[in-house]
Amino acid sequence: MSAGRVDSQPRHSACGSKLLLCLATIAAVAPARADAPDFATAVLPIVEARCATCHPARGGQAGLSLVTKAGMLRGGKSGPAIVPGDPAASLLLAKVSGNPPLMPPVGERLTADEIDLVRRWIAEGAAGEATSDGAPGEHPWWSFKPLRRPARPEGDASWARNEVDRFVSAKLAENALRPSEEAGRATLIRRLTYNLHGLPPDPSAIDSFVNDRSSHAYERLVDRLLASPRYGERWGRHWLDVVHYGESHGYDKDKARRNAWPYRDYVIRSFNSDKPYSRFIREQLAGDVLWPGDPEGLIATGFIAAGPWDYVGHAELREGTKDKKLARLLDRDDMLAATMSTFASLTVHCARCHDHKFDPILQADYYALQAVFAGVDRAEQPYFDDPALHVEAREIWFRLRRAEDALRPFAKRIEESTSPEIQRIDDEVYELGEESKDLLPKVGEEDTEETVARRMEIAARIEELRSERKQLALALMEPEARAEHRRLVARLKRVNEEFDALPEPSYVYSAASYFKTHGKFIPAWEPRPVHLLAKGSVEAPLERVAPGAVEAVPGLDGRFRLEPGSGEGAARAALAAWLASPDNPLTWRSAANRVWHYHFGRGLADSPNDFGRMGSPPTHPELLDWLAAEFRDGGGSFKDLHRKILLSATYRQSSAADPERARADTGNRFLWRMNRARLDAESVRDAVLWTGGQLDLSMGGPSAEHFLFKDDHSPVYDYARFDVASPASRRRSVYRFLVRSVQDPFMESLDCADPSLLVPKRSSTLTAIQALALLNDPLMVEQSRRFAERMRSAGSNVDERIRHGFRLALGRDPSPEEALELATNAARHGLENSARIILNSNEFIFVD
Amino acid sequence: MTEQQALQPQGRRQFLQHWGGGLGWVALAHMLGRDAAATGAQLNGGLHHPAKAKRVVQLFMSGAASQCDTFDYKPLLLRRNGEEFDPGGKVELFQSTPGPVMQSPWSWKRHGESGKWMSSLVPRLAECVDHMAFFPSMISKSNVHGPATFMQNSGFVLPGFPSMGAWISYGLGALTDDLPSFVVLPDARGFAPNGPGNHSAAFLPAQHQGTMIRAGRENPIHDLFPPASASFITPQSEADGLRVLERLNRRHMGGREGDSRLEARIQAYEMAARLQVTAPQVLDLAGESAATRNLYGLDDPVTEDFGLRCLTARRLLERGVRFVQVWSGADNGFPRRNWDSHEDLFKDHGMMGKSMDRPAAALILDLQARGMLDDTIVYWTTEFGRMPCSQGSMGRDHNPFTFTSWLAGGGVRGGTVYGASDEWSYKALDKPIYCYDLHATVLHLLGIDHKRLTFRHNGIDRRLTDVHGHVIQDVLA
Repeated sequence: MSAGRVDSQPRHSACGSKLLLCLATIAAVAPARADAPDFATAVLPIVEARCATCHPARGGQAGLSLVTKAGMLRGGKSGPAIVPGDPAASLLLAKVSGNPPLMPPVGERLTADEIDLVRRWIAEGAAGEATSDGAPGEHPWWSFKPLRRPARPEGDASWARNEVDRFVSAKLAENALRPSEEAGRATLIRRLTYNLHGLPPDPSAIDSFVNDRSSHAYERLVDRLLASPRYGERWGRHWLDVVHYGESHGYDKDKARRNAWPYRDYVIRSFNSDKPYSRFIREQLAGDVLWPGDPEGLIATGFIAAGPWDYVGHAELREGTKDKKLARLLDRDDMLAATMSTFASLTVHCARCHDHKFDPILQADYYALQAVFAGVDRAEQPYFDDPALHVEAREIWFRLRRAEDALRPFAKRIEESTSPEIQRIDDEVYELGEESKDLLPKVGEEDTEETVARRMEIAARIEELRSERKQLALALMEPEARAEHRRLVARLKRVNEEFDALPEPSYVYSAASYFKTHGKFIPAWEPRPVHLLAKGSVEAPLERVAPGAVEAVPGLDGRFRLEPGSGEGAARAALAAWLASPDNPLTWRSAANRVWHYHFGRGLADSPNDFGRMGSPPTHPELLDWLAAEFRDGGGSFKDLHRKILLSATYRQSSAADPERARADTGNRFLWRMNRARLDAESVRDAVLWTGGQLDLSMGGPSAEHFLFKDDHSPVYDYARFDVASPASRRRSVYRFLVRSVQDPFMESLDCADPSLLVPKRSSTLTAIQALALLNDPLMVEQSRRFAERMRSAGSNVDERIRHGFRLALGRDPSPEEALELATNAARHGLENSARIILNSNEFIFVD
Repeated sequence: MTEQQALQPQGRRQFLQHWGGGLGWVALAHMLGRDAAATGAQLNGGLHHPAKAKRVVQLFMSGAASQCDTFDYKPLLLRRNGEEFDPGGKVELFQSTPGPVMQSPWSWKRHGESGKWMSSLVPRLAECVDHMAFFPSMISKSNVHGPATFMQNSGFVLPGFPSMGAWISYGLGALTDDLPSFVVLPDARGFAPNGPGNHSAAFLPAQHQGTMIRAGRENPIHDLFPPASASFITPQSEADGLRVLERLNRRHMGGREGDSRLEARIQAYEMAARLQVTAPQVLDLAGESAATRNLYGLDDPVTEDFGLRCLTARRLLERGVRFVQVWSGADNGFPRRNWDSHEDLFKDHGMMGKSMDRPAAALILDLQARGMLDDTIVYWTTEFGRMPCSQGSMGRDHNPFTFTSWLAGGGVRGGTVYGASDEWSYKALDKPIYCYDLHATVLHLLGIDHKRLTFRHNGIDRRLTDVHGHVIQDVLA
């Protein structure tokens, strides 16, 4: 409704046109002569702006890199780009200075001054060395630098409560800003409770905190909130945003995933138990391999399966077709994009068709990551909560896999064998098939009972013939093979019986290297060969690629060099180890930044999924590194990280703004105050239920379906016909069933995460459609009634009722004017309408 | 400050100057976008260059409408009817092995001054050929409904990308404050494959997502009115309540200066109230003449649903909606309720064609009669085509290698055909194009350079046309 607007200078497209790269960090190298232009300070900014898109560090056009001096000297297809001391012989100058110049072919040309500068640089010996291009051995981009704990700045010692404040106040002083005063207690408890629980504070909790004279009242409150299971539900939901957890496949035929929820519960449990982050990473990528005796390990790999899945592409398309290959390519693409965005904040998925245009990520890295996931699909896996039973079941499950696998060559032989008798059967099958086709009604004709009956007869006969054919084919085999086949069929049957003899297992939708064939959806048996694809096309495979990650991350081997036959799980375990390594600088920065983001509404780096050059560099790089190092070296405890941030004076600031500082730092980048937050969709819904006394706090289990489900070719999820007064509607929002194709319109209007997207940060819109949802959605109307009932419980006096409502919903008493206004409205239109007004107020929706 | 002053909305620009942008600058920028669009009207709405058109109505045939039974005439199919289909090379089909060549069960004739061949399945559209530019060499990157439907909408075969309507809403903003800028009119029988994911705003701000309007429902827009069971809500309680709410919100703003979102949210409730008035007006066809109703086929049960939605589309466009998407056909289930005629082309395409032809033609003629065709683009498309050979003797399987879309109206040169399929209507032959090119062309007509309408998401400046797209100059008027 409210009109969108685009910058008058819209952004350049990353893949299409030239891009201006402003490098934040250019290490100064002493020039050879004081007046001679230097590569890093004079030339690099020019080539970064004009040439780098097509001639990056590696994999550039014509094999030429122009972002290092070494690259210029090495040159490309047409020879060296520069000859130091000889501008006339330097190809680079010839290309950029013609009339019109040949390079760059699109976008802005070099100015006369720039050309002159490059000429002088070459003429005077091409001084300096290339830096800051992020490739191994060269000066890395900020996020690729090894993670070391920076020294704590002095900052404002009188204001600071802890180390966080030292970093923040130092930065404020640099920018001639000062912090805001501490917010009031009532504001702080509301802020903390929403931040850690996604719920409003109880009036009694507000009273006791406001009146707590102890010097540790705040610390105790933080500890109490972190210890509550509501914490895991709130922060687990953040994680589910990032990993794009959903409970249906998406696309056409958006089938429900009834057993995805064990992963959601695993995430919530992990946050509540403060699981060390490195273990959390390893479990989600390879828990089934690394902790085979623990059902939790298998459930955790629900991470790999969390995203959308093309049912038709996998289960209906024939093997060997282009669309089948494309479906598998995109399936692995989703897995690797989710993995690298979530844990490393890297946009590796940009390197599917070419080397990354801005970050040191090669196309080969991308396909090495494809190879990591080449042995798994997304499917349901059996598990038992009892570890002993779980181990036994997995053992049988993998014997089942071997038994089925062993029979596959026979299926092929049977298919291919021939003899005069088999030929006769094949001919008969063909003729019956033709007859059946002829029996189909022609255009404009109707089917008759006779033709239908005959077609069914034919189908039965074909089935019979196929069975005969199999026996004939087997009879043709040498006796040993026949005996082997018999033995294997018996073995498969036996193992199946063994599995069936187990108690009824639970199932989780997770990564799966083996599962029961469903239509044309079959296991990989062994990792599917992954090839580097020219321009990302499945029709243009180049060399085969082995599992690995990003080579350019310093201090880690980006190629896993697994022993042949080490099994598909070894590749996932190797990637897990690569990511969870204390030496991986991206991992720890990524997690610390996400946590900061959810406390302040904006990360220290404001692109939580992109720490590359297209992302936002951190406003407080030292603070981010300090937090990341503390997090890593302190055992990867999220709760410790929360405490460091929440106990800071920075977090406790008032959110009130003043014009003077607002002019100096409009976006509050330097944190001179707290950011006011609009509640996210789950918090709104949960708070509305809580306020009306209706919120069901039971945890875990199958998801609450807020729609009527009708299974069909494309299943129908009908939200309009759901009864909002039913018990399912009272569960916390983190437990609602998340459909991909049709989202809950109420939650969607409040910017809930779209489970088809990796969502590192929610948008926060204020639209007319949202206003209508908060006014009129059946849930809101029902809860207005409930809230009014609860207000009535405060007594017969209308002022008391209004006061009770304010304390529940807004955490404060109403002013006399407010009380009068709402009481008057209640007298005229009933308390339900006053309740509805409170639930629609800005104060309810925003947190100071 | 008196209470009365407190109730006056702050001057928005003054507010901005005072607060130097402030937190929530984005929200305010979106509010101001209305003003920007109004200024842009002098440029005829163009964002990057003067526009030829201001608005778009897209007719989407769900399930894959056959090109060789509608717009792509191939005499060879008549000559080879019933013979083995052998176009050379391996023929890879979605579901089946190729059956014999199958001529269209409909007959063909030339129409209009341009002499375009059209089948008897679309007799009314045939009368409009001189308004239309046909693209018979369209290719899809997927042969599967879900991904291909995504592609025609968003340019990507994956979920999670904004659809064309969302991009245009984001790029050009609204022409009115009283209605959403992107409206979707789904088939009464249900959603197309991918559901509302087809008209998602994805990573663009939520106000750009397609708002579904469903005539005849208690709530034609989700939550437009309280449920009928909400007896405590009356028109008077609503009017009083909204006044109380605004006063609460204005008081709350005291001491919270500099946060434009608080004002924006008050405005959102005002817009919501206006929408409650305008949406029923749009759906109330009482003012439409009998002639108009008949033109759209409201008098015939076969054309009634699609006709009603085409007429509603025109009413929405008249009232300032930027982009209206009208769906013909639901999902791929049984009995057939979309264009996916694997089993019985004559019956199923017959039904779909008849229901679509008259209303679609009516839309063109009606827009023309009202002088709106000059700056409204009519964009007819489907996710892919169908095979010239038969499937199971009476149906046609999917054909991603060639299919037909067409444009009409604002800035489009009518009576033209761009590109061609081969002699079978099996593969695009001359000037093969993708939806990227059509999307680029539509954006161009709206005054948008498709390469410059971008949005940063997960490390990439995304655009509707990905890294592709060429404006098709040959069809520009």
